[in-house]
Amino acid sequence: MPYLEMKGISKLYPNDLLANDAIDFSVEKNEIHAIVGENGAGKTTLMKILYGLEQPDAGSILLGGNPVTIRSPLDARRLGIGMVHQHFKLIPEFSVAENVVLGIEPRKNLLFVDRNAAAERISEVITSHGFSIDPRARVLNLTVGQMQQVEIVKMLYRKADLLILDEPTSVLTEQEIRKLFETLRSLQKNGKTCIIITHKLQEVMEISDRVTVMRKGKVVAVRQTAEVDKAELSRLMVGKSVLFQFERAKKACGDPVLELVDVSLKQRGRDRALLDGINLTVRSCEIVGVAGVSGNGLGELEDVVAGLRRITGGRILHNGEDIAGLSPATLRERGFAYVPADRLRRGSSLQSTVTENMIVTSHHRFLRAGFLKGGKIQQFAERLTKSFSIDGGPRAPVGTLSGGNIQKVILARELASASNLVIVSEPTWGLDVASSQFVYEKILEMRKAGAGILFISSNLDEILGIADTIAVMYRGRVVAFLPNVPDLSKERIGEYMLGLRDDFAPEGPQRKGPQP
Amino acid sequence: MREKRNLGELFAGFTGLAFTLLLSFGLVIGLIFILSRAPGRTIYYFFVGAFTNKYYLGNMLNVAVPLIFTGLGISVAFKSSVFNLGGEGQIYAGGLAATAVCLALPAANGFLGGLTALAGAVVLSGGIAGLSGFFRMKWNTDEMISSFLLSSAVVLVVNYFITGPLDDPKNNLLATLAIGPQYGLMRIFPPSKLNVSAFFALAAALLVFLFMYRSHAGYEMRMCGLNREFSRYGGINVSKYLVLPMIMSGALHGLGGGLMVLGTYGATIEGYSFGMGWNGIAVALIAKNNPLGVIPAAFLFAYLDAGAKAAMLNSDVTFEIAAIAQSFIFYFVTAQALYGLARKRRRA
Repeated sequence: MPYLEMKGISKLYPNDLLANDAIDFSVEKNEIHAIVGENGAGKTTLMKILYGLEQPDAGSILLGGNPVTIRSPLDARRLGIGMVHQHFKLIPEFSVAENVVLGIEPRKNLLFVDRNAAAERISEVITSHGFSIDPRARVLNLTVGQMQQVEIVKMLYRKADLLILDEPTSVLTEQEIRKLFETLRSLQKNGKTCIIITHKLQEVMEISDRVTVMRKGKVVAVRQTAEVDKAELSRLMVGKSVLFQFERAKKACGDPVLELVDVSLKQRGRDRALLDGINLTVRSCEIVGVAGVSGNGLGELEDVVAGLRRITGGRILHNGEDIAGLSPATLRERGFAYVPADRLRRGSSLQSTVTENMIVTSHHRFLRAGFLKGGKIQQFAERLTKSFSIDGGPRAPVGTLSGGNIQKVILARELASASNLVIVSEPTWGLDVASSQFVYEKILEMRKAGAGILFISSNLDEILGIADTIAVMYRGRVVAFLPNVPDLSKERIGEYMLGLRDDFAPEGPQRKGPQP
Repeated sequence: MREKRNLGELFAGFTGLAFTLLLSFGLVIGLIFILSRAPGRTIYYFFVGAFTNKYYLGNMLNVAVPLIFTGLGISVAFKSSVFNLGGEGQIYAGGLAATAVCLALPAANGFLGGLTALAGAVVLSGGIAGLSGFFRMKWNTDEMISSFLLSSAVVLVVNYFITGPLDDPKNNLLATLAIGPQYGLMRIFPPSKLNVSAFFALAAALLVFLFMYRSHAGYEMRMCGLNREFSRYGGINVSKYLVLPMIMSGALHGLGGGLMVLGTYGATIEGYSFGMGWNGIAVALIAKNNPLGVIPAAFLFAYLDAGAKAAMLNSDVTFEIAAIAQSFIFYFVTAQALYGLARKRRRA
């Protein structure tokens, strides 16, 4: 009998995204079980259901053979389930001990927190599992790896037997990953069970006993890790079918519109650069698809090219001129159009009307003595809503529209003025087939009109379907820059995405080792 | 799910306000029955007293005038998602600035001198509030805290001028010297203190409305208020709109204070605008930050104020009881407005 069983779990999000589709998932006592899958495969949703952060629409959970209902993380903890989130939930000003006991502090005289007792009990947990943190240190002085240890100690202190780790290695250096794996093995020896979410195959092979592969909300395979290799896992993860294929650019590509030269982006207090020496060229009449798994620099690339984040090294050229540090307004004047990945926060203002959303980039063209020309604006909005067949009309608040229609509002606005460079990021995420098709057509129209297009997406199918040239990013670097020829297989791109191949690897296999 | 949300919005909307008013009026009536020995008489004056003669009516309308200005000032800031909690100091300083200008120009033409005085009020109060906006832009200092702290200090500075350099030695009141008679605004509803500043208030509401909903800067300001990330992405200079709404907010407060001095008091009296800044926040909340909605909201507050005063003068209730009854309604209405705001927040 498995230790944990999740049977027929389904979860439909309000935006009609079926995140989990009748999933069966089980974990044996005392194993390290990896869940792998692309972005949006439903891994995190499944774990949130297990931890009580989301409620399933269907399905049941059995723990140790007994059916359980988990309505909140409190329920989960009572059942001995602990979760370490991707983003740590710690209070930086508090000490390690204070963070660990938060909410269940040992008391002195019923009123005061017994700091000594707390520190003592935590020391026990720390030494018995071989952690290397001082319970009295303040969290803000710790490294990222140590903060993660605090999170794990927190779970152990609360007597968790089943630990869920959501992409625990994504923020860690190589050295810290080693340390984490040691910890996981020691936990296993102490009788704990671990579930680890990841999309790094190397780590799956190294640490897990068993692996469940998810794709598009379904479980596609469960394997003993010893019986699979990385290539097979990669195939299972990305799937086979390429559903659509558009024409490649007919005209020969023109001059470079956008050039990135050794662009890097570093964040204070983080060892690893978010962008690490990116070189990339987009020519007019060309769609350059940038593929990658999230967390590997796609979002950062989007931000720096759109001028919303300052690069810390290198140059970004637009029509041969350096544009680093220019404001978004100036970039738009230069002919940038930008369809952001975050369409609900960045791409639109949900409480404003369709019209107000449509003129945000162009309202300065509708001015008379400081006042907006209402009539002209109305005509403009009506024309766009009609030609993009947006339901709801120009006066509807954008927040009341469906996901597909919101994306149409953004596209309509961005494509309304002639542009020479179009940045699109995750343009079809969460959209249905018809809306996606519409988005592709509009992008192809822009290419035909002569624009260069930077098409950032973690959806490999659409990259292979639409791009003329494909760049693949892994850990903040471009690891492949290839023309999209017919015999370029999805498997091969998948291997680049997962770090199994690297065309631009500097000498040595361990490229980005830890600092000595 | 969706049904429920619509009902919630309805509650937070106009019907909700009417319901809240009825409920709180009911409670006030209950309270009066307990505390007053002549409940009928008290209730009559509390609710109808303000309309019994021209004096009460005019004074009620006159109380609404500064509330319109402070309500507008708060609306402008809140609409832009910057938070001005320094209204108390800004309206107080506006009155002092207008007084000081008038005293410095004892022989000026009433119209031009008056304009200069109001300009002084606008510049001083706009500057004080703008400073908080500037700090926010420059160092990301919370403008809510800094405007509040600054305002608390400004109140003390104004008090110093009232009792120090500008004090009227011939008068026992804690007040500055009186401004020249040519500055007094025309009374339009004698014997009450209602004066032409009421028209200024109505015009200001209309102008602010046009600015917010029809002008270029108003559009950018509202967009920044609703979603700063979106605005930055769209090419709007978002840091500018951390400062401008604060300046406008302070300027409107200052204008309100200046007009109170010119129209009603003829000098800066200590504490003359006490509470007006805070009440402006409540007015803006009830009006849902709509500049035109500020007008009825300010009247509602003035009405409650007038009712309490009338009941106090004509029946057996003390100032405290009148204030309790008034604050009953005040809390209910504000709570209801805040509830709507919180729902909106949660969804955003």
